[in-house]
Amino acid sequence: MAWVPHENSTRRSFLTAVGATSVVAVAGCLGEEGEDTDELVITQGEFVENTDPNDHNATPYYNVFDQVYEPMFEVTEDGEIEERVVTEWSHPDDGVVELELRDDVVFHNGEDLTASDVAYTLRRQVDEDVGFASDQVAGLTTVTGAEAEDDTTVIVEHEGSESLVEFQLASFCRAVNEEWVEDQEQPIDGDMMGTGPYELEEYEPDVQAVFTRFDDYWGDEPAYERVRINAAAESSSRVGAVQTGESDLVVNVPPTDVDDVDTDDGIEIRNVTSNRNIFLVMKNEIEPFDSQEFRQAMNYAVDNQGIIDSILGQFGEPMTQPIPEGLFGYNPDLEPYEQDQSQAEELVEESGYAGEEITLYTMEGRYLNDAEVAQTAADQIDQLENVDCDFETVPFDDVSDAAGEGPDYEEIPFFLLGWGNPTGDADYGLSPWFTSGGGQFNFADEDIEEQLLESQQIDDEDEREEQLQDINEQLREEAPWVFLHLEESIYGVRDDLEWEPRADESLYAEEMG
Amino acid sequence: MSYGKFLVKRILQGFVVIWGVVTVTFGLRAVSPGDPVNLIVDPAASPELREQIREDLGLNDPIYVQYVEYLQGLVVGDLGYSYQSSREVSTMVIERVPATLELAIAATVVAVVIAIPLGVISATRRNQPSDYGATLFSLVGISTPNFWLGIMLILVLAVQFGLFPTGQRPVGFADAMHSLITTGYAHDLVTWLRHITLPAIALGTYFTALITRLTRSGMIDELGKPYVTATEAKGLPGVLIRYKHVLRNTMIPIITVLGLQLGTLIGGAVITETVFSWPGLGLRLINAIYALDWPLIQGIIIFIGVGFVVINIFVDSLYAYLNPRVVDE
Repeated sequence: MAWVPHENSTRRSFLTAVGATSVVAVAGCLGEEGEDTDELVITQGEFVENTDPNDHNATPYYNVFDQVYEPMFEVTEDGEIEERVVTEWSHPDDGVVELELRDDVVFHNGEDLTASDVAYTLRRQVDEDVGFASDQVAGLTTVTGAEAEDDTTVIVEHEGSESLVEFQLASFCRAVNEEWVEDQEQPIDGDMMGTGPYELEEYEPDVQAVFTRFDDYWGDEPAYERVRINAAAESSSRVGAVQTGESDLVVNVPPTDVDDVDTDDGIEIRNVTSNRNIFLVMKNEIEPFDSQEFRQAMNYAVDNQGIIDSILGQFGEPMTQPIPEGLFGYNPDLEPYEQDQSQAEELVEESGYAGEEITLYTMEGRYLNDAEVAQTAADQIDQLENVDCDFETVPFDDVSDAAGEGPDYEEIPFFLLGWGNPTGDADYGLSPWFTSGGGQFNFADEDIEEQLLESQQIDDEDEREEQLQDINEQLREEAPWVFLHLEESIYGVRDDLEWEPRADESLYAEEMG
Repeated sequence: MSYGKFLVKRILQGFVVIWGVVTVTFGLRAVSPGDPVNLIVDPAASPELREQIREDLGLNDPIYVQYVEYLQGLVVGDLGYSYQSSREVSTMVIERVPATLELAIAATVVAVVIAIPLGVISATRRNQPSDYGATLFSLVGISTPNFWLGIMLILVLAVQFGLFPTGQRPVGFADAMHSLITTGYAHDLVTWLRHITLPAIALGTYFTALITRLTRSGMIDELGKPYVTATEAKGLPGVLIRYKHVLRNTMIPIITVLGLQLGTLIGGAVITETVFSWPGLGLRLINAIYALDWPLIQGIIIFIGVGFVVINIFVDSLYAYLNPRVVDE
């Protein structure tokens, strides 16, 4: 019988059918994988290295964990905190937040989620006598302890302002079952047991994780029966996977492949400006970056909109301040630095560093076209008549080390870096960089440090927001970084998949239909 | 020298080579830039926490102490723990061996199935279009980089024509065979076959070209020998002479090369596995290198090194057994 094209058939489906038939004929049997239409397949570049939800702090890892371990709060696109497993929260005393939990949440082994489990989850991260030194501690800086008051009430002790601890709890609290965790090796590896909409069916380290719908989930039933998250570090493999229909959604499509994906039948590009910003750090205790005029000159020398247009295929937004739009504390009145070479040259003269030779360091492959971005920025600085700028690529760890060494570290004083802002609060974008206790302290300014530490203690939300906005305005003037752009998240998506990308880079399968 | 002494000597030499591999990889780790603590904690972690982790990992010890401790661990099969995942390196290595072996063997099968007939045709039709074609194929095959060929195969055969998947290994060969035997359904085996075809072609092309050349030159040598003329004089059909007598003699050096190249194939699988997301040792090694996860990098390199040495010793021993003159040489 001749093959009759269906009206909805595409060239690809025809060729797939032909290909499948020929292979089947060779193998002498019937059958084809991937026929399960109720399965959603997501492919991302990075994958979890173990299955402990409290052990890591990276978005691609959360995208795997969040199918099984649900966050306690909902954080909206606008950075608002809403109820989820926690239905109410209040601040009965200074340094105390009381969380009220739903009473119908069960773990995948059938046990109820209790306040004791949530308190244990927090202590496991912040108290080394209970758990381990977790990456997530950096996001729970103000939390000092937690106890269960009764089955559904958790008392969290903290040292910061009310709104700050709320943001921290919303971002870094995925409840685990205390009894189950204590029976596992630490950190947990190979199994997952949470309260989320999916339970783990199969897990292959840095290859794939397969999840099936959890029937006793307290919330709405997700649309897909099964979810498979694959790892494909190579971008061409990811793009190929969505083009062939092997994957319904792939992350980080390179700008050069965007046109190919967007014109292909049945798939499209969806993108959103993320909360990750890309910038050039200048250590202000090292010459010539100890001069505010020189630092401002670097900002005027670089055409960040031009870089977005030419290097990033127009995917990106210019930065106006150290944090992205949408975060609590963002100052909407600030504008990006516009390229102005003659003003840059004047400022260099004023700084007294005319004729200076500097080198811009960057890693390669960590962020979207990072080396090309840095090279272009270095070229533009080099075009100033009174500054020579070289460019050098180094391993990411060299840059990461330099970022952790403090503002007087001379070896690499000028480098490109990116910073994600998952908590929705400006503090996570500022404190690590501008307070001497922060892991990325590179810019020593006593006034700003004092104001930042003070902002952590302000309980009045409006007052705190105003203070953070004021700090951002001062930092734009101080120019501790060359402000480049907010990175764009670019996805290749099956065009009938109901889902919109999120600025926080999260992928919740339950939101897809 | 007796065969036993020869064997002991070879094994001792093998240990020296392995010790060399261990020492070089350890040396590379010692001089490589970057701080492993960055892998373990968040960039925003406090200096105190970093220092404590550095102390716990023994990174503050002098380098010779770290080296001796690493060697002591190796003796009892302890390759340490991955910085990134905190899992045992030995487990992480062993669980990836089947995928890489499958790929290496499949690539060898691709090479043998294509190369030997091609080499025979080329040798028996010298200076004819089919010989030129085979020679050109060999030249192109040897000159084509693995990663480029892999990406082209994906673009043309997977994306453009939809004949094969772009990569991944949803099921292993052992599980596929188990499923076939227990249920009678070949679905898993077909899935495995479809997924391994493109990576096997990408990895096997260089090898195919190499074996084609070897077969061609070996056959040409053999065809000129007196026994061929004698069999021809006896009136044996040409096909029988070529495939039964001449090819059999040509195969001896080819089989030796096949054995020795298995190690090279495992090494070459690094790039192929990355392009096709094939979850073998190579992909794990690349991920470990990206993350500067040194215990895992060392573990995989040592494992590949040991594999290479063992295969070499095995091939040498077999040679010496079959040809005792090798022992005296």
